[in-house]
Amino acid sequence: MKIPLLVSTGILLVTLLPCQECRALSKSPAAASGALHQPDFFQQQQQQQQTLPVLLRMGEEYFLRLGNLHKRPVGSLSASSSSTSHLQPEASASNFFQAAVQQLQQLPERSPGSPEDGEAEGEAVEREKRSEEPPISLDLTFHLLREVLEMARAEQLAQQAHSNRKLMEIIGK
Amino acid sequence: MPSAFQFQCLFILIFLAASKGETRYLEVRDAGEDEPFLLLSEDLKRELSAGQIYRRSLRCIDMLSIEGQFTFTADQRQLHCATFFIGEPEDLITIEYNFVNIDCQGGDFLKVFDGWILKGEKFPSSLDHPLTTSQRYVDFCESGNIQRSIRSSQNVAMIFFRIHQPGNGFTVTIKKTTNLFPCNVISQTPSGRFTMVIPHQHRNCSFSIIYPVVIKISDLILGHLNGLFLKKPSAGCAGVGDFVELLGGAGLDPSKMFPLADLCHSFHGSAQMKIGCDNTVLRMVSSGKHINRVTFEYHQLDLQETEMRKENSIEEFCFPSI
Repeated sequence: MKIPLLVSTGILLVTLLPCQECRALSKSPAAASGALHQPDFFQQQQQQQQTLPVLLRMGEEYFLRLGNLHKRPVGSLSASSSSTSHLQPEASASNFFQAAVQQLQQLPERSPGSPEDGEAEGEAVEREKRSEEPPISLDLTFHLLREVLEMARAEQLAQQAHSNRKLMEIIGK
Repeated sequence: MPSAFQFQCLFILIFLAASKGETRYLEVRDAGEDEPFLLLSEDLKRELSAGQIYRRSLRCIDMLSIEGQFTFTADQRQLHCATFFIGEPEDLITIEYNFVNIDCQGGDFLKVFDGWILKGEKFPSSLDHPLTTSQRYVDFCESGNIQRSIRSSQNVAMIFFRIHQPGNGFTVTIKKTTNLFPCNVISQTPSGRFTMVIPHQHRNCSFSIIYPVVIKISDLILGHLNGLFLKKPSAGCAGVGDFVELLGGAGLDPSKMFPLADLCHSFHGSAQMKIGCDNTVLRMVSSGKHINRVTFEYHQLDLQETEMRKENSIEEFCFPSI
């Protein structure tokens, strides 16, 4: 009699108690042993661990810092490439992009194998992490953005000119 | 006689509907303005379009503003790449996967984002976009077999990709479709003119110019004409009613920019403002009760300008960044 009562009480408690966020189990023995009498410290440790970068390919939302904001913008190298003419030389445009990519690639790659241990926690835990993490983004300055925008605009005008030329050829036949 | 009477009734009904302002605001460009092909016969169009698909290879960081087929092939390990797409204000971008050869299990990814995102700041902002941030990312590795064609909600979109193995890559086809009532727009150029219309829609729309500009609002209608009388102006700009606000800032997200001016009442005329910020946004907040319309023009701010206009001008705001 007592056992079913205890079991049903336990089930009620589990369902009615506020559900805390699923947390990855800490591997630290100190945290594991102290969990019972220092729950706040354990949660703080877990929160700290949760803020570490995770598998990029697992996350729907994560921040990917691709550039150093304090470095001199690559746009200064593009002074020669931004001219008043509509058609920019391909060589200077490719140099600009090479320089931009080199700057952006100076950050070390986040190892895809490091959070392999986290895979064992389960998909639900990973989804919680994703929702907390900042979204994937690009660290591009407005100056660089305007440069690539103007290049795209120049390409569009060149393509339009090419189409107009073809049109005139067809009409002229 | 009955037919003449019916004709008169129909005419009266049409006249009443038009006077109530129920007609749609549609801007139809002249046929010869941007689309000379519209003047051609079908045979000529067929001849012109044969083999007309524009193709080129993509760079790691790239921007596209034209339709066509674009291929990226990694010549080395490429870990931090993105391609921006932008169209005219009335364009919607459609991205179609033609060929994808990436190693999802090996850490590669290919994601489409509905909008632009820079340094964590999104355009349109989360407040002005119908989808959540996570829904705005479409991951090929998760949904590639299901969703091969993705359409943006505004005139901008972008893709992020990472490829470890040289030789891997992908091919996408970019197409543009027309959006009758453009809502969230990033301007391709530092100068231009635009009319934003929100017809009976409860939504907020932003027009972003990523340059320091002089912006001149020439026509603002909040509410719609009912006969010859304007409706009573909306109740203030304190978050209630319909209004237009000018924002300035150094980021892409309009919700994180500084409000510079609020316009709560309809007017015809010229209201000019010089904004020396990296990004200038004109944002219209609409309750859905009215048809709201704002016409404005803008050109890049010349910091050497010393002439100050006296009529309805506000002193320049934001310190120059160039």
